[in-house]
Amino acid sequence: MNVITNNNLKCTIALAALENVTDPEIGLNVVDLGLIYQIDFDDAHSKIFIAMTLTTQFCPMGESITGAVKRVLENTFTDAQVLLELTFDPPWSHELISEEGQKYLNQ
Amino acid sequence: MFSNNNNDPLVKNTSHKVVLPFYLYASISFLFSTILLFFSTEAFTQHYFHPQTLAITHSMALGWGTMIILGASHQLVPVLIEGRLYSIKLGYASFFLAGIGIPLLVYGFYFFAMGWQAQWGGIFINAAIIAYLLNLTISMVKSKKENVHAVFVFTAVLWLLLTTLVGLLLAFNFTAAILPKGSLHYLSLHAHMGIVGWFLLLVIGVGSRLIPMFLISKYSNTKLLWVIYGLINGGLIAFLISFLYFSNTSFYFLSVLAILLAIALFGYYCYQSFKQRIRKQVDEQMKISLLSIGMMLLPVVLLILIIGLLLAGSANTKLVLAYGFIVFFGWLTAIIFGMTFKTLPFIIWNKVYHLQAGLGKTPNPKDLFSSPVFYAMGIAYLCGFGLFITGIFTANIVVLKMATLLLILAALLYNWNVIKLFMHKSARL
Repeated sequence: MNVITNNNLKCTIALAALENVTDPEIGLNVVDLGLIYQIDFDDAHSKIFIAMTLTTQFCPMGESITGAVKRVLENTFTDAQVLLELTFDPPWSHELISEEGQKYLNQ
Repeated sequence: MFSNNNNDPLVKNTSHKVVLPFYLYASISFLFSTILLFFSTEAFTQHYFHPQTLAITHSMALGWGTMIILGASHQLVPVLIEGRLYSIKLGYASFFLAGIGIPLLVYGFYFFAMGWQAQWGGIFINAAIIAYLLNLTISMVKSKKENVHAVFVFTAVLWLLLTTLVGLLLAFNFTAAILPKGSLHYLSLHAHMGIVGWFLLLVIGVGSRLIPMFLISKYSNTKLLWVIYGLINGGLIAFLISFLYFSNTSFYFLSVLAILLAIALFGYYCYQSFKQRIRKQVDEQMKISLLSIGMMLLPVVLLILIIGLLLAGSANTKLVLAYGFIVFFGWLTAIIFGMTFKTLPFIIWNKVYHLQAGLGKTPNPKDLFSSPVFYAMGIAYLCGFGLFITGIFTANIVVLKMATLLLILAALLYNWNVIKLFMHKSARL
């Protein structure tokens, strides 16, 4: 799982917070599932840019998952505005699941 | 690269408001069908072209099977076509038109009132299917993406429309001789367009997308799905041609073999998806859904027997009754049981918790219904199903009555869980 970022410290905090957002169908959090592609921080304008994907395009749970990601980041970085981009380029694949995620799914 | 796309159409789902009424209607129809079955058990010891048998068949095929599939597909079409559903209003139109038409038609059959009741019932049902087909077609055109699953669903709806149009002609044919032969003659044509063209094609089209998705499987084989698509449609078209233009029943074997091969290949597809799954745990709903794939073979075996007996010059009414029962109360009901509790909890969860997700712990969708009730439903259903088949072959009314009581119990438990889901209120853990 390699998340692109321009601020490693803040990205670690963001990812730790995002571990609380789970895909309700799979029961695995969005970080270990490999849904988060990029998190950039624009401190000058108090903005956070996040690029993420879903396991399937037009996923019925998509709105809930992206909404939860935004809310968690807004609660973690209270002064920042969160801008979320949903992308399917590249599409999600099982290879993006982290080792911890693989272990969870193998249970 | 980034934009603030809160209203990005990619993340908008079909509103639960248009989906849930279909589920509720189907649940009630299933209960109603089992009650109807209890009061009509004598009909299952007689010829299959019996008003009460026809009423139950249509209540199951349309009120139960078709309504729940239409409801689920309004939710799942965006996943299948990778685009948004074109119109919610057309979704409501489908619901209300079918919702009025189905009871009229079932009433018409049950009391053999084949005048305006059955005819208007048929007209409303056809209008509902046209509204759905229109919605699906425009959604597909707008999405501009081609995929095998969408083609399966689209073709299945075309077959459904053809089935209901033939059904409408048959309904009118009862009161005015508009067809060269009586309605009984065309029954197998009408039934198989519905069973194979609509239900089988749709279940395979949707199942081939959802089963690997729910199992998180590495397996994918589009070529195989196209072969299955060709076999089902080829087999069905061959059946229609031989039915309409050749009187030789032996031609039917070619169609049955094509469809049998298609089911076997789909079984292989599901097996490979299961084998190559990343998620090792398989929930009960998925197990029932996978079991129902195996149950697809049962009616085909009976069909081979029926055709074999027809060729030998002896039609077996009990086999035909068992065949119809296995299709609607067996295979189709099993897959609906599994898929209802795989899809409905997520729709409800999304409705109740989508604004709370990420703000604290929320229940899992699978916790919104009762698992013990689900198990009890499964046991009552399997016992009732097995007993009813025994009752058909032994023509024993007591066995049939006992079986229907078990099926009513299964339907009550199913409804109990559905109502529990519908009534769910936000419960933060």
